[in-house]
Amino acid sequence: MTSRHLRPDEFDLLLDHEEGFGVAPLRRHVEACADCRQELAAMEAVVAALDTLPDLAPSAGFANRVMAEVPVFEPWHAALSRSVTPLVPATRWAQLAAGMAAAVGLGGVTAGATWVLARADMAVLLAQFGVDRLRGELQAGGASLVSAALGQGGEAALRGASPEEIALWVGGGVAVAGMAVVGLRSLVSAPSRR
Amino acid sequence: MTADALGTLPDADVVRLAQQGREPAYRELVRRYERPVFSLVYRMVRDREVAEDLAQDTFVKVLNHIDRYSPEFKFSSWLFKIANNVAIDHLRRRRLDTVSIDGAPDATSASEVEASTIQLASEQESPLDELASRELGSAIERAIGALRPQYRACIMLRHVEGRSYEEIAATLDLPLGTVKTYIHRARHELRRALEGVRA
Repeated sequence: MTSRHLRPDEFDLLLDHEEGFGVAPLRRHVEACADCRQELAAMEAVVAALDTLPDLAPSAGFANRVMAEVPVFEPWHAALSRSVTPLVPATRWAQLAAGMAAAVGLGGVTAGATWVLARADMAVLLAQFGVDRLRGELQAGGASLVSAALGQGGEAALRGASPEEIALWVGGGVAVAGMAVVGLRSLVSAPSRR
Repeated sequence: MTADALGTLPDADVVRLAQQGREPAYRELVRRYERPVFSLVYRMVRDREVAEDLAQDTFVKVLNHIDRYSPEFKFSSWLFKIANNVAIDHLRRRRLDTVSIDGAPDATSASEVEASTIQLASEQESPLDELASRELGSAIERAIGALRPQYRACIMLRHVEGRSYEEIAATLDLPLGTVKTYIHRARHELRRALEGVRA
């Protein structure tokens, strides 16, 4: 037990209900000392009054007033997660199967992409093959169209022409056709004159 | 997720949902803390209308920057820190807006200082303070109103919100020793004020 009166910080230890090595002697002193007991009682009354202070409420509609000034944004990753979540199966086994299928699909896409990157020459060759084939189809279609429109002579002229001449002929043909369409539409839609 | 389900989640989970753009989570955070924040601010500024505006500012600031919240701190500590800063800023501005009672700053002689010094008739509360005190009610509320704002914030967080000294230090950005000193002094000032009431 301490023989002197308690210091202010020692009163705080008791008020805060501290439990420590040095607190027991303080308590014993308070039990024996009328002055310190009176001081502690007065401080405890203050603390009790503070502890019973209520929380005060703002006026009704406070939350609405706050939310009126808070724009709520959903980040893209949250939106994506929210969109995917309903697609996840409910049962554990279905989830497992869906997960396996997704993993296999992802593995296939990755393998394909890796193969394309590793064999870029093969990819270029395949692309070239596809472009050549498309060009052949377009030439055959164009020849039959010219043959139908201009006869065998036109088709022969087309076959003998250079690519630049063909481009000029085709461009000119499209321009003439376009002008014809526009002219016809204006004739059709023109108001009749009295 | 329903409002009831949100009500059972810890703060950190509700904040995470708010960060994902869920409006009900925002509203849940307001619902949980509108009273504590308003109480703290009201007891700091002692004006209901101003306290509502400042509490609203606090929530708007916090919710508009919810993406910056770091979960290593308690959400409530972050919220109270901003509420306290908003209230202290207001009190500083209000003090700047008031006329100095210590005499004109440009006074060059003692007589000029005396002539420009406002003499207070008494230390009684102004009518506005009295109105606030009536609403805030008891003698202890009036005694709290007479404390320095820094003491007021510490004592509110300690006794009304039940925060530890360490949490208060983190919330108010004060050293732990300073918080203990402020609370100790505040308790003693309150004790003296309440003795005056009882006498």
